[in-house]
Amino acid sequence: METSTTTAKVKIHLTTRSEDIQLPVETGPILVPTELRRYQLSTLVNTLLETVQPVPLEFLVNGQFLRTSLDEYLTQNGISAETTLNVEYVKALIPPLHVASYEHDDWVSAVDVLSNSARAAQTSRSDDLIPERILSGSYDGTIRIWNMSSEVVATGAAHTAAIKAAKFLSPTQVVSAGIDRTLRLWKYDDAAVGSASTLTATLELYGHKSSIDNIAVHSPSSRILSASSDHTVGVWSTRKNDAPAAPESLLPIANKRRKLSNTTQRPQRGPLSLLSGHQSQVSDVCFDEKDATVAYSTSWDHTVKTWDLTTSACVDTRTTAQSLFSILHLPETGLLATGTSARHISLIDPRASATVISAMTLRGHTNAVVSLAQDPNSNHQIVSGSHDGTCRVWDLRSVKQGNAEKTGESVYVIERDSAKGRKRPEAGDGVKVFGVCWDKDVGIVSGGEDKQVQINKGSQ
Amino acid sequence: NIDPESLLPKLPDPNELRPFPSVCATIYKGHEGRIRSLSIESYGKYVATGGDDGTVRVWEIVSGKQLWRIRLSSSEAVNQVSWQPSRETCIIAACCGEQVHFIVPQGEICNPEQDRRSREVLDSGFGYAASNATKTAAGVDKPSSANWLRPSQTLQDKGVLLTITLRSSPKTLAWHRRGDYFSTVSPSTTSTSTAVAVHTLSKHQTQYPFRRLKGLAQTVCFHPSKPLFFVATRQSIRIYDLQQQRLEKQLQPGAQWISAISLHPLGSNLLVSSYDKRLLWHDLDLGATPYKTLRYHSKAIRSVQFHPSLPLFADASDDGTLQVFHGNVMGDSLDNATVVPLKVLRGHKVVKNLGVLDVEWHPREAWCVSAGADGVARLWT
Ligand SMILES: [Mg+2]
Repeated sequence: METSTTTAKVKIHLTTRSEDIQLPVETGPILVPTELRRYQLSTLVNTLLETVQPVPLEFLVNGQFLRTSLDEYLTQNGISAETTLNVEYVKALIPPLHVASYEHDDWVSAVDVLSNSARAAQTSRSDDLIPERILSGSYDGTIRIWNMSSEVVATGAAHTAAIKAAKFLSPTQVVSAGIDRTLRLWKYDDAAVGSASTLTATLELYGHKSSIDNIAVHSPSSRILSASSDHTVGVWSTRKNDAPAAPESLLPIANKRRKLSNTTQRPQRGPLSLLSGHQSQVSDVCFDEKDATVAYSTSWDHTVKTWDLTTSACVDTRTTAQSLFSILHLPETGLLATGTSARHISLIDPRASATVISAMTLRGHTNAVVSLAQDPNSNHQIVSGSHDGTCRVWDLRSVKQGNAEKTGESVYVIERDSAKGRKRPEAGDGVKVFGVCWDKDVGIVSGGEDKQVQINKGSQ
Repeated sequence: NIDPESLLPKLPDPNELRPFPSVCATIYKGHEGRIRSLSIESYGKYVATGGDDGTVRVWEIVSGKQLWRIRLSSSEAVNQVSWQPSRETCIIAACCGEQVHFIVPQGEICNPEQDRRSREVLDSGFGYAASNATKTAAGVDKPSSANWLRPSQTLQDKGVLLTITLRSSPKTLAWHRRGDYFSTVSPSTTSTSTAVAVHTLSKHQTQYPFRRLKGLAQTVCFHPSKPLFFVATRQSIRIYDLQQQRLEKQLQPGAQWISAISLHPLGSNLLVSSYDKRLLWHDLDLGATPYKTLRYHSKAIRSVQFHPSLPLFADASDDGTLQVFHGNVMGDSLDNATVVPLKVLRGHKVVKNLGVLDVEWHPREAWCVSAGADGVARLWT
């Protein structure tokens, strides 16, 4: 009897969705020892594939990554070893490696990427190749556009205080916002060669009564959303002629001194609407990825609100147990990933039919989670930026079902290159990450307290 | 045959009393020397600090970014900073040397409406003082004990719009909830009759309500809804009715030297911290002695504060730690308050025997900010 338990076997049926690592069609279910784990399974599939260079593989059983032996998996899930297990294999994510860091004069609060695959490029009507550019916003009040050789190609300095958010609207248009309560639109002229690229401020948007901490853009509908400390979400048009007049009382006080230094008057406009309902500062906002007439916002008031932008009405409020600092809509599942002050990411189901508020909790960060972005190559992966001084890559299939909740662990931790080799400081002091974005061509780009924009890329 | 243990009320498990601060989330760095005081503005977005380097600094609370600073003195410490408790204005009162400065921080911290309103509030008293000057001139020859003046143009350009000069250094400043009255305490004055001053901002008026104050004044506070005024001397606390001009009640905490007091937002419970390491809880509906004495520190306690909306309080000690407690006050006061120690917050370094000098709660969150003799402030979440 003893020998039979040690060599227990289970039948597995291996499949994959990746074209280049398909097993021959005739490969049927295989009988394997139940003691196998991910590594042995990976070796087995590579042997079957006769790969010259082994491809590291991950295995999904019933939509979840195998993190134990097959035997433990069967026991935990109460599955009989008589069953044939359907096992999907995927290429393991290669740890994103440090590519470059761009040095700033002050803390970097916001980052965005322009590339052929970036969303901002999809508005381009020209067939010209779009150059890869990185946009950064800094606490020094300046936005900068960088090329991939670590050079600043254009600078924009019209804000009168720190920048908190900056995004490309198109390959020729940028929007930024910050502590001076304004959004500013910029025309970007990219000189393919030399240093003649320019950022020209074209429009000032007034309406918020306090700092703007995040923005979201939807170029096809010419809309911008802003998250402000004044408890409102601003809805703005990128087109000067569509925008109402700026509210007089919020324009800068006509100071004699300032007037002299600021002689060039740029057009000033107001919001299409200000969405009120949050009881505390609004920290982040995003469009629904499938329906740009719907937006979601997070607030320090612990809630996530769903807004119908057509009627400017709040149609849903989900209350959590902590202040929320960042939000990302996941189109595949319809869930909202929210970064919290309580150091985790909570996946919230905003649909009316949802019976549980938190569908999943991603734990691992040791400080506030302030920025989130989707993997452009995968519906299952996201990256988060935290005040603990790291970015973490999460795979939503890598979860454990606990007693009360489903929890996930990060698959990769990206440290700050500026702190390489040193112990991670308490409270992320000196290395807090403030903004992260993920581009198919450029990789994971993040900015933070170390005054660096850092680029990491997995070699997939 | 009853086990006496079973009769004792069981303290709840701290984990059931969340949320409360447990880790340091942000370290505010920039001050040279001790940070003596901090104040969080009413929206909970910015923190102001003041310290030995004579500067007042404003920080973004979560990121820890210093957004603005002003040097008020090159030789005197800023002993106290306190935002005026109004959402329409954006004014920091700062005690530095013998002066109280009223500052509208620059750097886009307040919006144009708040800036305009703040300037109006700080300006209105000049008009009142001017039109009432003739009356007092005809009357008694009053020695000018407090000078309300517009600072130099250089300072005004930096945001300091009003300065009061007192006879001796105010160490404490407490606002009345409505933001027009405030009180200062100058403990080191030789004349006890001018140690406690009550000021009216809109009239640029300074009054000394106590001709003879028994003991050396330490700190004061206003009741949130009644015309009651709490004055702490080194060893006792007197509660005065300001309208009736009479002593309502006297508390004997049993402390040798009181450092700070904090009145519960409902107004019927008072926390008293002392340099002799004790924290005392007074229920004002009970007698003159403390309802509870808490000894959790090995060194002097310098500051204590009730959370403005959650059942929490925290104190700050020279042993370098903060102690966070759950303290649930029942509205009907029939039930006595439950006090549960929740967490010791460690991180500040003790420098020359001084540890944590001030603590203040966020207006809504279960977060607090502490100011240290080690030159940093910390946010705990
Ligand atoms: Mg204080």
